[in-house]
Amino acid sequence: MKEDAMKTILSDLNGSSGDIEASAVVSLDGLMMASLLPADVEEDRVAAMSAALLSLGERTAKELARGTLNQVLIQGSEGYTIMTEAGSEAVLTVLAKKDAKLGLIFLDISRAAKALSNLLSGA
Amino acid sequence: MASYKILISGPVGSGKTTAVSTLSDIPVVKTDAKPTDGVAALKDSTTVAMDYGTIDLGDGNKVHLYGTPGQERFKFMWEILVQGSIGLILLINNNHPHPLRELELFLEAFARSIEQIPFSVGITHMDECPRPTIQQYSQLLAAKKHVVPLFSVDARSKEDMNLLVLAMLSMIAPEIALENFKGLTLNAHPHHLRYTKRQRH
Ligand SMILES: Nc1nc2c(ncn2[C@@H]2O[C@H](COP(=O)(O)OP(=O)(O)OP(=O)(O)O)[C@@H](O)[C@H]2O)c(=O)[nH]1
Ligand SMILES: [Mg+2]
Repeated sequence: MKEDAMKTILSDLNGSSGDIEASAVVSLDGLMMASLLPADVEEDRVAAMSAALLSLGERTAKELARGTLNQVLIQGSEGYTIMTEAGSEAVLTVLAKKDAKLGLIFLDISRAAKALSNLLSGA
Repeated sequence: MASYKILISGPVGSGKTTAVSTLSDIPVVKTDAKPTDGVAALKDSTTVAMDYGTIDLGDGNKVHLYGTPGQERFKFMWEILVQGSIGLILLINNNHPHPLRELELFLEAFARSIEQIPFSVGITHMDECPRPTIQQYSQLLAAKKHVVPLFSVDARSKEDMNLLVLAMLSMIAPEIALENFKGLTLNAHPHHLRYTKRQRH
């Protein structure tokens, strides 16, 4: 099943770095497709917020002539939320610790995003 | 020079994005995505963050027009977008299983805001589905002590949408000069005018 395959990719991602605390795959219209999130996180809200932010990021990049969107990064006092397009149908949302090494995380995220994209496009 | 923020909200497919496009003088900023749930059967795009357009009122005065997503999982956007709005327009899709309940849901979701800012209600898709009737909506609003403009509208019609905006603005406290809104022209037909107040007796 695709959901299981997505979860495998997410658990590889979460395992790849101690800095990544949680991750999820969300459809572009804001529905959860697969997730490895802490129990206290409201899945529906994470999904909807990911889709909203990604689409606003896309619009902003376009309006301000920054090209096509790769990623939306939100830095809070307690850590990062990173949203990355995973193919043309989904968003990969990652929660990372505040002292995370971003360069390394970005590599892991883009690898996972690519794997998800391949999986979802049936390649 | 003044600028005013007006918010359009309401359930899926009620015509919020269409209304912002109908009213706006500039190309609308949309955040549409392809639906992957039940909405896919109705439409091939749904709003996930907001719509944005402007209405030029002349003399440098401007309305900033925002549309919300309709699906409840995007409720946090309703809360964000209503901030700073001077008025709210609720569009309800009559061609839905429970449109009266949807109106109630949106009245509840915006309960805090509509204590402070005026709102008007437009019922769309009445051409496709004549029931519930305007009278039923009117009774529901009256039962909740809301005396507000209520019309049957088509979100694709500029005249209908102008009427809804103007009717809402006419409820605004005098400190906002209605003069500023003279740029909105209105060609109302008497049968459009169905204020809940008048129907109470
Ligand atoms: N027949 C009919 N069609 C209408 C009327 N008002 C709007 N429409 C159509 O109904 C559809 C409304 O779609 P949208 O404008 O995307 O609706 P929305 O409220 O933005 O929906 P979400 O963003 O998914 O919440 C469009 O295809 C409009 O052309 C009406 O009064 N009658
Ligand atoms: Mg919309």
